[in-house]
Amino acid sequence: MPRHKLVASESDVSIEVDADFTEDRVREVKNERNPKAKERDTKRKLEIHKTTEQKTENKKRKRSHSKQRGKRNIDDEDKGGEQISKQKKNRKNKKTKKLLTEEAEGEGYITKQKKKRRPQVDEENANATKQMTPEGPPKKKKRAKVQVESSSESEDSSSEKESSEEEEWKVTALTPEELEKLKEAVDEKKKLITILRGKPWPMLKKLQTLKESHDFLEKFEGALGKGKAKKLYAYKVMMLKRWMKFQRDFENFKTACIPWEMKIKDIESHFGSSVASYFIFLRWMYGINMILFGLTFGLVMVPEALMGKPYGSMPRKTVPRAEQASAMDFAVLWDFGGYAKYSVLFYGYYNSQRAIGWLKFRMPLSYFLVGVGTVAYSYMVVIRTMARNANEQGGGDDTNFNFSWKMFTSWDYLIGNPETADNKFASITTSFKEAIVEEQESRKDDNIHLTRFFRVLANFLVLCCLAGSGYLIYFVVRRSQKFALEGLENYGWWERNEVNMVMSLLGMFCPMLFDVISNLENYHPRIALQWQLGRIFALFLGNLYTFIIALMDEINLKRKEEETVKLNMTVWMANLHNGTLAENSTAPPITADPADVPRGPCWETMVGQEFVRLIISDTMTTYITLLIGDFLRAVMVRFFNYCWCWDLEYGFPSYSEFDVSGNVLGLIFNQGMIWMGAFYAPCLPALNVLRLHVSMYLQCWAVMCCNVPQERVFKASGSNNFYMAMLLVILFLSTLPAIYTIVSIPPSFDCGPFSGKNRMFDVIQETLEMDFPAWFGKVFSYASNPGLVLPFLLLMVLAIYYLQSTSKTYKKANAELKKKLQAQNEENKKKNKRAALKASDPEEARNSASEQQWHQINNNASKKEMDTWGCERGQNQHVTTCTRQSAAVKRQCGPADLHNPSTRPPPAQRNPATHGYLPGNPHQPSLRMQRTSSLKLQ
Amino acid sequence: MVSPAIALAFLPLLITLLIRYRYYFVLLYRAVLVRWVQDLLTGLSREERAFQYILTHSIPGDPQSILDTFDHWCSKVEFISNIGPKKGKILDRLLEEIRPLTVLELGTHCGYSTVRIARSLPLGARLYSIEMHEKNAQIAEKIIRLAGFDDDTVELVVSPSDEVIPRLREDYGVEHLDFVFMDHWKRCYLPDLQLLEGSGLLGEGSVVLADNVVFPGAPNFLRYVRNSGLYELRLHRASLEYIRGIRDGMAELVHRGVK
Repeated sequence: MPRHKLVASESDVSIEVDADFTEDRVREVKNERNPKAKERDTKRKLEIHKTTEQKTENKKRKRSHSKQRGKRNIDDEDKGGEQISKQKKNRKNKKTKKLLTEEAEGEGYITKQKKKRRPQVDEENANATKQMTPEGPPKKKKRAKVQVESSSESEDSSSEKESSEEEEWKVTALTPEELEKLKEAVDEKKKLITILRGKPWPMLKKLQTLKESHDFLEKFEGALGKGKAKKLYAYKVMMLKRWMKFQRDFENFKTACIPWEMKIKDIESHFGSSVASYFIFLRWMYGINMILFGLTFGLVMVPEALMGKPYGSMPRKTVPRAEQASAMDFAVLWDFGGYAKYSVLFYGYYNSQRAIGWLKFRMPLSYFLVGVGTVAYSYMVVIRTMARNANEQGGGDDTNFNFSWKMFTSWDYLIGNPETADNKFASITTSFKEAIVEEQESRKDDNIHLTRFFRVLANFLVLCCLAGSGYLIYFVVRRSQKFALEGLENYGWWERNEVNMVMSLLGMFCPMLFDVISNLENYHPRIALQWQLGRIFALFLGNLYTFIIALMDEINLKRKEEETVKLNMTVWMANLHNGTLAENSTAPPITADPADVPRGPCWETMVGQEFVRLIISDTMTTYITLLIGDFLRAVMVRFFNYCWCWDLEYGFPSYSEFDVSGNVLGLIFNQGMIWMGAFYAPCLPALNVLRLHVSMYLQCWAVMCCNVPQERVFKASGSNNFYMAMLLVILFLSTLPAIYTIVSIPPSFDCGPFSGKNRMFDVIQETLEMDFPAWFGKVFSYASNPGLVLPFLLLMVLAIYYLQSTSKTYKKANAELKKKLQAQNEENKKKNKRAALKASDPEEARNSASEQQWHQINNNASKKEMDTWGCERGQNQHVTTCTRQSAAVKRQCGPADLHNPSTRPPPAQRNPATHGYLPGNPHQPSLRMQRTSSLKLQ
Repeated sequence: MVSPAIALAFLPLLITLLIRYRYYFVLLYRAVLVRWVQDLLTGLSREERAFQYILTHSIPGDPQSILDTFDHWCSKVEFISNIGPKKGKILDRLLEEIRPLTVLELGTHCGYSTVRIARSLPLGARLYSIEMHEKNAQIAEKIIRLAGFDDDTVELVVSPSDEVIPRLREDYGVEHLDFVFMDHWKRCYLPDLQLLEGSGLLGEGSVVLADNVVFPGAPNFLRYVRNSGLYELRLHRASLEYIRGIRDGMAELVHRGVK
């Protein structure tokens, strides 16, 4: 029977024919078989005669057979009709042995069972050939075989499914032609995948094609190896994929581990990096405060609470009799009086006992060292961060290809989430806006004299404003001192809270005034932000120092009071002893109830309380302004807009913008107060952590829900270090008064860990004497000798000077190199242009241009060049997308740009000029680029 | 009793508000206070005063001179919210481009914009101008005639806009409107646009120009236009007429045609 006819006959779905065919084929195969197969076959035949015990074996064989079938299917997919015969021959070599056995066993009852079997078999076929291209003959053949084997024995389809998974790893050996074909097909699919993006198909079709091609590749890429190598390859590919997936997941996990990262990214994409920089700063602050909190909580508060004397055991740990009635009232607790005042939260509660508990914990020493340590740690962290930021600033200021770079490399193709894609889109448009503002700023020249006059005027106005607010605070503080002298009980709530009220009101309104005044100056927004920050800084600093001065006055008052209390104390003690002695002389000296013992005013606790109150009121003001000024306003604007006579959203109230400068300064000053007050109120870091945590969530929410992005979005690069510098200044300014009080004012006689000492730092000396061996004290005293300290300091200064001068030289050298690089770049560009112009015929031009290109790349070794070049190479495909993209960008930028028509002129001449040296056609692309870049801004 | 110090602390806020919204205060002063005082002093309405001024200061029959006099009066003497010279240029340009034959104007007021439109119309074009108030309409009529436009070019209709629009087809024989200029009550923009749509007077290529969509603003109108998909919207941003510093805009709607 000729092969082709056979194939044709197979396509009829007749089982009799199929059965015939199998027999027929077996016979045919026998003739063609190679000697080895013959041998096997004869063996088989012998075995067949043994018949019945083989049934168990059969099952196993069948499994392997089904595997083979799967592979066959795979082979079938790519072959035309002519090839089929060849394949069949190949295959038959392996199949015949099974067929023979099946034949022997099954022939008897095929006809009986086949009708019953039919549906099931069809199903199986469908399973196996699901992905196959419809090719009649192989399928039929297979079906026949399946029927044969299925009829021979009852089989479970589950085992077949199981095995089908393994099929993928084992592909039968292929002839060279088939390999060739397969390779071609694989290459074709790969190509398809790469160019799929540019095809003008609907997305659904693209996705489908992509998936199909991927499946195909997955299956057959491994098939190109041989034998074991194939398996290994498949395994390797699988592992590589898993590893990559794991890596990606791990990256995601890492991002998820950074607290609030997603939130900040979200905000950054909508509001630009300046707003995001505030939130990053907030997060950084939160980290620092966590560490401060850990130190104070772990080394001061917990040991005292666990191992120190309990509440009520000493006068300093007991609420005085007079206050006991109201000590648990909410109003008192809210003011941090009553039980809150006599607890571990404040300095006065701590005992001066040298070592507490079974651990012999040196409480006063620990208190002192933690106080010093927090400040030292803060200094260290701030300075380290500043240094790191300065490093980052040095690199990557090459703005040569700013726009084209942004245009072609902005999109992140890994984004799969529509919301993220939205965000990415928003962030790209914002980055374009930022770049445009930047560019515009660099080419602005107005009437410089007028601008200067306005700037001077603005500064004058701001100074007046600062002086006015300073005087107002001074006035209020003086007045409050008068009230305090006359007794606060006679005055109402307004008078008592006057200082706080005035301070927070001024802190709220003056920045607004500064903002209005700074409109006069016409600075770039980033510089304007820095000016604004500086002014608000001055204002807040004035407020803070007024507060501190008032506090100092208070401390002096308290100390005078303490003197009188000390005198009274001796009198009281004498009375007590006299009284008790008179009654019964036998008993040991009777101690009075600690609540009744007269006590000093404890100025340290008072200072701590003041700071805590200030922090609380500050926090409250911030949150309330947020809720009223942002949220309520947004709600009003949004919903009253339906029934208002003018447009509220565009017009008068509008939505608020996020006030970066005010918020940053609020944060910094808050931190300054923490640093100042933490020594006298160990609870302050804890409070601050709480506050930062809440404000992180609250402000993130408020920004996303009720603020609009600034009209002029700008990059925040560099402002981070500005924040840090301010933080450093504040740190210094806030440690000054704290150190002053520690060093120059003697601690209270009856409260706190240092009571009874002349100065607070005496605790160090005491420890040196008592806890360290004598030689250590001696060494220490030698070391602290001015004769040793002064040379050491001198050496340090010299070292600093040396390091600074070397760093300056390096910087200069760096700048020089950069300049050189740029000059070379320009030179190359010119050379290329000349070469391109000179070369008359295109072939020559191409050669020279590409040569130049390589030359240049080698010279610069600059990544950007490579990028743009790569981009240009695919120009033919890209240009359409580029223009489309730029049109989209234009649409997005449009409304914002309409306000200031000065954005209209196309950005930089240097952009188009950089594209003059392309391989191939040196002129056209540059024109194209020009078009796209000008489109961007029209 | 609030202490004076706390009251003083509000001073920066007050100054900030004053500076930031100074243009609005100027507007309030000129549009409300001056008008009120002048009404009391002269016993005439604002429009009558404007007409007197124009009658004495402009050249009859010269639309440009009348417009200039109007601008001068509105910016230097008193305030009437006409379309103004800057936004008027946009209007002129649009009319040059479209060259409409049938124009509808909602809100004639004193006739400033009517004169402005009528002078740049092509020959044979017809302008229907609708004014609700009888008194304003009388003055507008006088000013239009003073500028030299007769009944064939400009037809003044004294009636509320929502009554006139449905009757435009039968009473005035209008089949299709090429250009509609809206400058009446901001609240009526949306219903009138819907009426125009309903009466089928707008077709493909019809242009609707709405003034003052940003300040005082017509948010509902803009929202409707953006969402309806019937129009191509362009917002021309400018400042409010005769007063610097207040942002305003005109919405240009190009009808896409019903498909």
